[in-house]
Amino acid sequence: MINEKRRRLALFYCQNVPESREADRQALEETSGETVALFPMPCSGRVEPVHLLRALEEFADAAYVITCPQGACRNFEGNSRAMKRMERTKSIIESIGLERERVGLIVCSKENPKSLAALAQEIMEDISSLGPSPALGPHGR
Amino acid sequence: MITGEQKPVDEIRRMIAPYKRILVLGCGSCVAECASGGEKETAMLASALRMAARIKNEDVVIEEMTIDRQCVNQFVIQLDKVIDPYDAVLALGCGAGVQAVAEMYPEVPIIPGLNTEFLGETQAQGVWAETCLGCGDCMLYDFGGICPLARCSKQILNGPCGGSVDGRCEVNPDIPCAWQLIIDRLDKFGGLDRLEDIYPPKDWSTKQGGGPRKIIREDQQK
Repeated sequence: MINEKRRRLALFYCQNVPESREADRQALEETSGETVALFPMPCSGRVEPVHLLRALEEFADAAYVITCPQGACRNFEGNSRAMKRMERTKSIIESIGLERERVGLIVCSKENPKSLAALAQEIMEDISSLGPSPALGPHGR
Repeated sequence: MITGEQKPVDEIRRMIAPYKRILVLGCGSCVAECASGGEKETAMLASALRMAARIKNEDVVIEEMTIDRQCVNQFVIQLDKVIDPYDAVLALGCGAGVQAVAEMYPEVPIIPGLNTEFLGETQAQGVWAETCLGCGDCMLYDFGGICPLARCSKQILNGPCGGSVDGRCEVNPDIPCAWQLIIDRLDKFGGLDRLEDIYPPKDWSTKQGGGPRKIIREDQQK
């Protein structure tokens, strides 16, 4: 079971994302303080709905996935699988009364590549309108 | 294998509402293969139910475990060690599995988490199709390995009906015409003469004519 302090965002990302090596992750963790929990994955196709649900259940107000660009998956179809699983996850959280926007997926652009840190910042802005997640209870976990 | 689909969360929540301690019980066999009641799906549902309870400020304990087979007593008995603290079990097995668990624990409410669908095959990743009704009197020899009872929308034994278009069923164009498949297959190995016979209406007495069926094999018993 994931055991983390409450964070605004759980971010699962493909290691094919630009500037997402271990040093980049550590730097981002330092600058983001305790707002983001980062989970490097060998491929976004490894992210299952249960990973996102557990993050929402245990510590995160939102859970997102960053995939490599369309057609660039080293495992051929990992990122397209991630997209399908994201749709399923959205429907599950909607069925329990959570906003669909509490989970999401960003596909890296091949033409305009952005670093992990820049993408994380964009996601934080996207979710800024979401309040604390009621799935974590009134005082968080 | 037996296929199933998870019931809507609202329906599940209505059924578990009276209980405070619930065990979500997965099954690692058929319903794991069709991604509705295996370990992953059990973890997902339990997590979703815990969050739903927290959102509604409900004081409940929801935990999960998965056993290899819910329909075999020797596997169900593993629950002996864990079932005591729970008020109810939400079982993600097929109907046979749910009933096997219920029979073993008569004092504990057993709630079905799936709608059991059909006996079928995995045709592609994420695609399951009904191919057998379990009629108790297999006619696949006569029809070249394609069952018209399970796969023809009209269940006709003396087909084709003449309504198919481009090999697709006129009732449901999403499925191939079973009779087109039967004729194509029989033709491939020179078996079309099997269709010379006129088949009488199906004798359903071997399915449920005598009530629930049972197979007893003395050589397999203790």
